[in-house]
Amino acid sequence: MRPSRVGGVLRGTLLSLVVAVMLLPVYAMVAVASASDATDLGGLGFDAARFGEHLTRLFGQGDFPLYLRNSVILSLGVAVLEVVLSGAAGYALAQLAFPGRRVLFAVVVGTLSLSPIVVLVPMYLVVRQLGWIDTFQGMIVPFAVSAFGVFLVRQFALSLPRELLLSARVDGAGELRIFLRVAVPLLRPALLTLFLLQFLAQWDNLLWPLVVANKPGLWPLPVGLSQLQTEYDFSAGLVGTAALVTAVPPLALMFVLQRYYVAGLTLGGVKK
Amino acid sequence: MTLLTRRRLLAAAALTTASGLLSACGGSEPEAAVPADGVPRGKLSVWLHQTKAYDAVFTKLLHSYVQEFGGVDVTPLYVPVDKLDAKLLTAFAGDAPPDLFKIGGWTIAGHARKGRLAPIIPKAMGVPDEKALVAQYDQNAISSLSYQGRLYGVPVDYTICCLYYRRDRFAEAGLDPDKPPATWEEVAEYSKRLTSADGKKVGLQWILGNPQWTLMQLLALVRGKGGGILSADAGTATLASDAGVEALRYYGSVGEAKLSNPLSGFGLFATGQAAMVVSGLFAMDLFPALNKQLVFGRSFDIAPLPHWDGGQPVAPAYTWGWAVAEESKLPYTAWHFIDYLQREDVAARQLKDASLLTPVKGWEKLPGADAKAMEIMAASAPHADFGPRTPVWQEMAKALTDAGDAVAFGKKTPERAAADFDQAMRIAL
Amino acid sequence: MTLTVRLAGPATTVSGRGQRWAEARAGSLLALPAAVYFLLFWVVPFAGAVWLSFTDYELAGVPAWTGLDNYRRLLGDPGFWNSAQVTALYTLASVVPSIVLALAIAVPLSRPGRLNGVLRALVMVPAAMPLVATSMVWSAIFADEGLANTLIGLVGGGPLPWLTDERLALWALVIMTTWKHLGLFVIILTAGLQGLPSGVFEAAAIDGAGPLRIFARITLPLLRRTLLFVLVIAVIGAMQSFVPAFLLTKGGPAGATEVLPLYLWATGFGFERMGYASAIAMVLLLAMLALSLVQFGVLRGGEDG
Repeated sequence: MRPSRVGGVLRGTLLSLVVAVMLLPVYAMVAVASASDATDLGGLGFDAARFGEHLTRLFGQGDFPLYLRNSVILSLGVAVLEVVLSGAAGYALAQLAFPGRRVLFAVVVGTLSLSPIVVLVPMYLVVRQLGWIDTFQGMIVPFAVSAFGVFLVRQFALSLPRELLLSARVDGAGELRIFLRVAVPLLRPALLTLFLLQFLAQWDNLLWPLVVANKPGLWPLPVGLSQLQTEYDFSAGLVGTAALVTAVPPLALMFVLQRYYVAGLTLGGVKK
Repeated sequence: MTLLTRRRLLAAAALTTASGLLSACGGSEPEAAVPADGVPRGKLSVWLHQTKAYDAVFTKLLHSYVQEFGGVDVTPLYVPVDKLDAKLLTAFAGDAPPDLFKIGGWTIAGHARKGRLAPIIPKAMGVPDEKALVAQYDQNAISSLSYQGRLYGVPVDYTICCLYYRRDRFAEAGLDPDKPPATWEEVAEYSKRLTSADGKKVGLQWILGNPQWTLMQLLALVRGKGGGILSADAGTATLASDAGVEALRYYGSVGEAKLSNPLSGFGLFATGQAAMVVSGLFAMDLFPALNKQLVFGRSFDIAPLPHWDGGQPVAPAYTWGWAVAEESKLPYTAWHFIDYLQREDVAARQLKDASLLTPVKGWEKLPGADAKAMEIMAASAPHADFGPRTPVWQEMAKALTDAGDAVAFGKKTPERAAADFDQAMRIAL
Repeated sequence: MTLTVRLAGPATTVSGRGQRWAEARAGSLLALPAAVYFLLFWVVPFAGAVWLSFTDYELAGVPAWTGLDNYRRLLGDPGFWNSAQVTALYTLASVVPSIVLALAIAVPLSRPGRLNGVLRALVMVPAAMPLVATSMVWSAIFADEGLANTLIGLVGGGPLPWLTDERLALWALVIMTTWKHLGLFVIILTAGLQGLPSGVFEAAAIDGAGPLRIFARITLPLLRRTLLFVLVIAVIGAMQSFVPAFLLTKGGPAGATEVLPLYLWATGFGFERMGYASAIAMVLLLAMLALSLVQFGVLRGGEDG
């Protein structure tokens, strides 16, 4: 057993090293957050006092809590809708024969490949037609479903254990009941991953909220924080601090969820 | 839904064309928009890009305006400068532009051609006609905001390029910090002496990859040689000429394109890697903000933009402007508010607090700015050149940037780059 | 493992027709909201974009029908071809290494163990960092005295002009996006790996197959469905990648990182040539669909066809 143990230690060390390298840029972000000005970006030292100063300034700018609140509403709204709607559609595409299934899947794959840039104006026209300019629904609904989400859930749902679904049917359970009681628990890792990814995507979305929201009262963090950085003039440390603070909620969410999705992964996998 | 959207597009199109025609036929509309009592009313939406300093001035003005004219409510919206165009364009396409906005003077022609802008309403600005309004401003600056003989904006944030140089780097290299180069030939010579053996420190460094700055830098070089980027009527590209090719050759011969900084040339000047850079008035505040060690007059200084030996001086310039949307239902109120923002006492305060120059007549005498800077700008003003006024400004500036960068990075010969530019513009114009 | 539950066989006690009816009803119900959404927010705008691609539309006025003009213009547009080349290179350079790397990390990481649990959490950290908010930090990382050059200095390399060298700049973008997406790929692949039946591996190990052989002969084929997903997502993500270049290099130096979506952006929202931009988008769409079809074909075992 000795060689395999050595192998295990080696593997563990190597993996840790790789992960450590991946975390280096995160440290660079921490370092930049304490930079004094734009000529001081290269250094990797961390000045706690100056970082504290930046934090105070950031939170002292009255609107920061507002942007934070808006970001939470936007990101949660999109993530929840996404999980429910893309989850349902992804499952249906994988497991249920219904009219238009092939067409829908073709649309999903097509949508995945369509450049969002060219649909920006048409999408804006749709949202305007619905009277949703300057509203949360105008920011949220256009992202309520995504081709990525449907595709992700579908790929996972294709692997659902057939026997379980069959036996539920034999027991006389309705299709919707099977979806909710059998499939959803098994799809939990995929759904949680989707939740996290869509939350992140919205947390990082600058362009659409900027285009749709004309009231600063609706602005999420990326739009709000972009005010810190003007064309030629920015305080590098302050922008860095804002970036770091912005990263905290999604990171926290990820750590909370990771227990479930990592544990869930094995559960959700197909045991034959 | 397809039909709806399409109909919507068509309706918008019809509307803009119709109003464009109307205003082209002598502008009876603005007259109609003037309320009988001359009192501004209504809710105005304003979009502008943010600068912290200007915000302090603008917010105060906004409050005092709303106080003075009780019937008006103004909602400002600050948009990051690199997203302002996209947001404006989307709003224009969706028939939902703000009433007034601050836009780059170079975009006026493009917007005006597409019928998006409402011409000024002299009555709202307390003057009998357009001529009287123009007379209140620096001629060059305000005329850069007109298109096909009509005035679509009033200027704010007027900038004339000058040469920034690092006194400390000059002293280090044995050059007299009180004698900045006056000609491009001298700049090249000085640059050689200022370039370190490892190439990490250079003399003049261009702002590369940035369409607006590329245009101004090359404009100085090309026009100084007697050439032009576009023909006088802005109908054809004329870079592939002796002047254009020489300018590009010079452009590629100074500076080191591979030097990198998150803020390009501005950042390189702040760190001292670049000893000279072409920039505007705003940079006097910028450099000390980027590097707290820099003090104007001690570690860095300004000089008039160089000219070619024996050639005419050229002072590339730009101005932002306030403009009003054609679709605004309150053009009178919008222009009235703009007029309020442009008063002379405001101009003085703005210059002092935000380093933004409103080119009102006699701006040279406005107090509050650095005397030397004002002197240089005043001396350059007669040579101010706003560049080609074309509705396809963005395409031109991008193609010019491609040309300049290609030469600076050694990818193309100046001849080839100039020819490629002319070719690209043939399609665009 | 690769079975689908389309109830191809009559192996149920539920009557075939009743079951089909129940499935159709439930399927339609579950898919309806998504179908309506796609219709409203993608199919309609898409139809609009297709129409615009045959017109001269400058974000104002009536779009004028110009037939194939935009497509003809595209063929002779050096800017388009430069961008197409950059995008192809960028896609290749970012997809292949990131999937290989993700597999190399995911295989050992999918084993149980306390350390692996911790590492699985940490590997996702970059994916959770907002890209827009942290882009400024990346330009600092790639600056002359930034982190990237500090690391290279440790192994004796000279400082590199990451963002201002025509050949390097694209790789700087590749590094940034790989960093951002690696964790996600690892987690999805780990999920796939952990779902594989362990019995097969044990049998192979007893037969004396080495780890590489097991990986090539058993793990990879069984992982096809997950791989397909990661591959399709990675390729499409790379071909549509806009944010990194927009934030970090603006397409420079001298057009070296002007990926197609960036060119599309400049054409549509810079030059206001939305008709032409739509034509570029259609070409990009067709290229992506073709690639997706190839991937679905090659990894057919992962599909239910």
